[in-house]
Amino acid sequence: MVNPYLFAAFSVVWAIFVVYVWILSRRQAQLQKELEELRRRLHEQASSGARPPQS
Amino acid sequence: MLKKIFPPTIHLSITFVWLVVSLYMIFLYAPQEATMGEAQRIFYIHFSVACTSLLAFFFVFLGSMGYLIKRSRRSDDFAYASAEVGFLYCCAVLITGPLWAKPAWGIWWTWDPRLTSTFILWLLYIAYLMLRSYVTNPGRVEVLSAVFGILGSVDAVIDYMAIRWWRTQHPQPVIAGGPGSGLDPRMWLTVFTTWGAFLCLFFYLLRQRMTMTQNQRQLVQLRRELAS
Repeated sequence: MVNPYLFAAFSVVWAIFVVYVWILSRRQAQLQKELEELRRRLHEQASSGARPPQS
Repeated sequence: MLKKIFPPTIHLSITFVWLVVSLYMIFLYAPQEATMGEAQRIFYIHFSVACTSLLAFFFVFLGSMGYLIKRSRRSDDFAYASAEVGFLYCCAVLITGPLWAKPAWGIWWTWDPRLTSTFILWLLYIAYLMLRSYVTNPGRVEVLSAVFGILGSVDAVIDYMAIRWWRTQHPQPVIAGGPGSGLDPRMWLTVFTTWGAFLCLFFYLLRQRMTMTQNQRQLVQLRRELAS
């Protein structure tokens, strides 16, 4: 029989860190996606602005 | 630079293996303590998270000083990331502490100097993080939180010294605790392996949190560029 205090302490601590790592990686992935999208839009804006006027 | 030499995925893998090794040592290598029995194994994890949470506030202090002296954004990011990750460790301290206290002392909590100063440290972490969230004025939030971080570190010192300055319900120090303190050699090895694993995890979380702050700043910059 596992000591209930020992079991509770280890499971709670592991849960805290696993959840935080998961939240952090999700937020990071979302930020990365947003950054790429903004870079793409900036690139598009720059290339359309640089286009020579049509005669 | 660090990303190239030591990529985060490698760092996370090492942390994971190290944590598994420390679990093996806690449950299978370290001998059972004579009076407290199985519950004493909570000590390995409690000690590791407690030392790391104090170290985290020391990093908040260093980052805050760095920001006030050099006005460096990196120092501020370092202090902010240390506070967030340190808060997590402090939560773990306040959960594992009572879970160890109940079988050892027969009570969940007592307002002795060590426990009270740890609880205050936890409140300081919350206050610091609230300050970062609610004060949105750029430039002002960094200065205010740096001052708060420096003042708050006084409690971290009191927390560390509490069991040395006063007679407390909390056990006396096992490291640098003078004559009569100490552990079985196998317990020592388990303590340091577990602490090392939690430190490795701390530095992984710290660098990830700092990268996130830098990405957030970059995002704001790009939005501004796009709008102009």
